[in-house]
Amino acid sequence: MTGWLLAYLPLLASAILDCGFAFSQYVVLRAGVFSVATAGFASLGAYAGALLTMRLGLPPALSLIGSLVVGAAAGALLSIPLARLRGVFQAIATLAFVQIVLSVSLFVEPVTGGALGLNGIPQAVQLWHLVIFLLVLLYLLHALGGSSIGRAFDAARQDETVAVALGISVVRYHALAFTLSGGIAGFTGGLYAFNRYSLVPDQFGFAMLVASLAAVVLGGRISVLGPVVGTAVLALLPELARGFAEQRYLLHGALLMLVIIFLPDGIVDTAKFRWRGAVRGNAAH
Amino acid sequence: MLAQQVANGLVVGSVYALFALGFTLVFGVHHVLNLAHGSVCMWGAFIGLIAVAPDSVFATGPATPFLPLPVAFLLAMLGGGVLGVLLDLLAFRPLRKRHATEFAALVSSIGASLILISLAQQLSQTRILRFPFGTFPLQFFRFAGLRISSLQIFIFGCVAVLFAGLLFYLYRTSFGRQVRAVAVNERAATLLGVNPSAVYLQIFFISGALAGAAGVLIGLAFNSVNFLMGEPYLMRAFVVVVLGGLGSVTGAVVAGLLLGLIQVLTVVYVSSGLSDAIIFSILFLMLLVRPTGLFAGLRRDVRVVRG
Repeated sequence: MTGWLLAYLPLLASAILDCGFAFSQYVVLRAGVFSVATAGFASLGAYAGALLTMRLGLPPALSLIGSLVVGAAAGALLSIPLARLRGVFQAIATLAFVQIVLSVSLFVEPVTGGALGLNGIPQAVQLWHLVIFLLVLLYLLHALGGSSIGRAFDAARQDETVAVALGISVVRYHALAFTLSGGIAGFTGGLYAFNRYSLVPDQFGFAMLVASLAAVVLGGRISVLGPVVGTAVLALLPELARGFAEQRYLLHGALLMLVIIFLPDGIVDTAKFRWRGAVRGNAAH
Repeated sequence: MLAQQVANGLVVGSVYALFALGFTLVFGVHHVLNLAHGSVCMWGAFIGLIAVAPDSVFATGPATPFLPLPVAFLLAMLGGGVLGVLLDLLAFRPLRKRHATEFAALVSSIGASLILISLAQQLSQTRILRFPFGTFPLQFFRFAGLRISSLQIFIFGCVAVLFAGLLFYLYRTSFGRQVRAVAVNERAATLLGVNPSAVYLQIFFISGALAGAAGVLIGLAFNSVNFLMGEPYLMRAFVVVVLGGLGSVTGAVVAGLLLGLIQVLTVVYVSSGLSDAIIFSILFLMLLVRPTGLFAGLRRDVRVVRG
């Protein structure tokens, strides 16, 4: 029994990290920003954290704060030009940002180690750190979602014109969403660096972008539990269907298409709406 | 030296243009980003390779030739077109019925792309495949101090012919008029008796066929066919369509050639490592300064004015 559990611990660690990235994606989508910059923020945070410890000798705890600051700053800076764009154009611009970060981190070899990446990062982050991180993040985002900020995000997502008419500064809340997204992705990137020994630029490319987007779409974009459920489904699916291990991406792709077509609100949010509808239906009778 | 690089850049750029044509066509008419376009292009290369030499995909021994290249090229276009139609039917049409957001269409196309990539990975067993030596009769010509290969001429010629054909279809036929009508306003076009579903099917067929053609040309030019080959072209297609104006066909061709030039010149005169960073920085700046592209007129719905 313990052996079986131990075999799954690395899976749990990587699922929690994926979940952190998914939350970064979740925050912007909840606020109605069509950004896919998470992978770029994560790369900046991961490299910042690892380099602060390896080159400047800072303790990992301080380096993680550095990751958070770098990610949040990148998000805040990016939000200034991107406030002028909308929809698809925002998505393309953030995709360009991810590509720029990727190619620059491949290019500046003396700093980042180029394609070979950074190796021998001290493994300062253990599984229990990650569990605490996830719980704290869940609590913070839950609290945020229930506050006026969360309601402003919801208004801005559902109808920008209405939000503006209600006196909500959409630009400011979008900037806040970008900053939060950057901070969460940067910090998770730092945890990733200190949990994995090594960093390679390619880890923070299109595949990560798709994975975090998929987790949020599967789980749901409104409820805080959405990204958790989405990540869990994506992580467990290959384990449950071992015979389909080779068809992993096939399964992911089919799941994405089915969910966006038949359950466009994601698993958690659809369940919530149904539940509320059922309760209201009973009350009416 | 510079002239030679310009020539090489134009050939690379013509491939970018061909790839981006189908991508921008779908956006112009359907207003969605089809992220599965790269996978359709990759499948075009696979279909072409299977037609030329099935052994090089299904067996490991020496490849025996099967069909001549022109036939394989047409088959790849046909196959790409059929894949495009399937994409429309399975990934986009259900969402269109529901009037879903552009976000939903984007996610759906990512899902379709993952499926196509996974199938190709299993078919090729993650190998990098090649067109057999001698598939294309390679010759070199010297012309005004330039060294140009027959393959480069073939690629440039194919792209020119396909582009001319697309322009003819869009601006000189009744089908094309319907397509343009739907692109401007789907409801108004429907009221005038245009069937938008048929237009979408045509557009996806053409877009897929162009991607399939691009796949074969890329496979020949770089002598490599693998399941991930579409993704870098998809990324560059974003640069091309934004430079040329999203939805603009002529813009895509001019911007594709321009991107080929920029890429070759930065590789030669700056650094190959920085080439991508420069290209995507251009994309980023372009979106901020002139999101409608270099050639398109200002479109209202690109930017929002907020208080």
